[in-house]
Amino acid sequence: MSRSNRNPAYRRYMWRSLLISTAYIATILLAVWAIPDNAPTAPAYLPFALLPGIIIGGWVWAMARLLVELQDEYLRFLEVQKILVATGVTLAWTGAWGVAELFLPHLPKVPVFFVFPAWCLGLVVGQLVVRIRFGADGGCP
Amino acid sequence: MNNRLKVLRAERDWSQQHLADALGVSRQSVNAIETGRFDPSLPLAFRIADIFALPIEQIFLRD
Repeated sequence: MSRSNRNPAYRRYMWRSLLISTAYIATILLAVWAIPDNAPTAPAYLPFALLPGIIIGGWVWAMARLLVELQDEYLRFLEVQKILVATGVTLAWTGAWGVAELFLPHLPKVPVFFVFPAWCLGLVVGQLVVRIRFGADGGCP
Repeated sequence: MNNRLKVLRAERDWSQQHLADALGVSRQSVNAIETGRFDPSLPLAFRIADIFALPIEQIFLRD
């Protein structure tokens, strides 16, 4: 673990991410338990179906708080670089795949919920780019 | 932007960590500024100037 991981902003980010991840898994399990297979689209199931998605917003909030709370401008710069790479990779991939789906009917359809995991994978790409360009990691993936 | 941070630090026999602690930033930040990979903001540049007790233009130089 690098020294920057001892930064309080990173520690708070890690704790928030852990709590949000736990809540995400719990709400997914709740939705699986509460909504039967082949259930009709009924208002009663709506909260169970929406809750995991709302919690994904929590991850975005945690990342935004990290950028706000990071006092070290260089570390903040590295995190912003990772986010820009992740956003670029995700937009390029989803945009290109979506257009390809229009013209290639046999291409597998990518469910929209894959966009956020793809963005998280993009952060890993961003970490690699930052390591190559700046020889540094920042504090978190 | 070029800078004389490494030379000034060496003259005072300060480690990167010592300077980082004095500035309240990470050692990575000091290293990135010294090697020219990152240009500090004006407030941080002024803090650096204060610590070395030098005018800012004697630390940071135009390309």
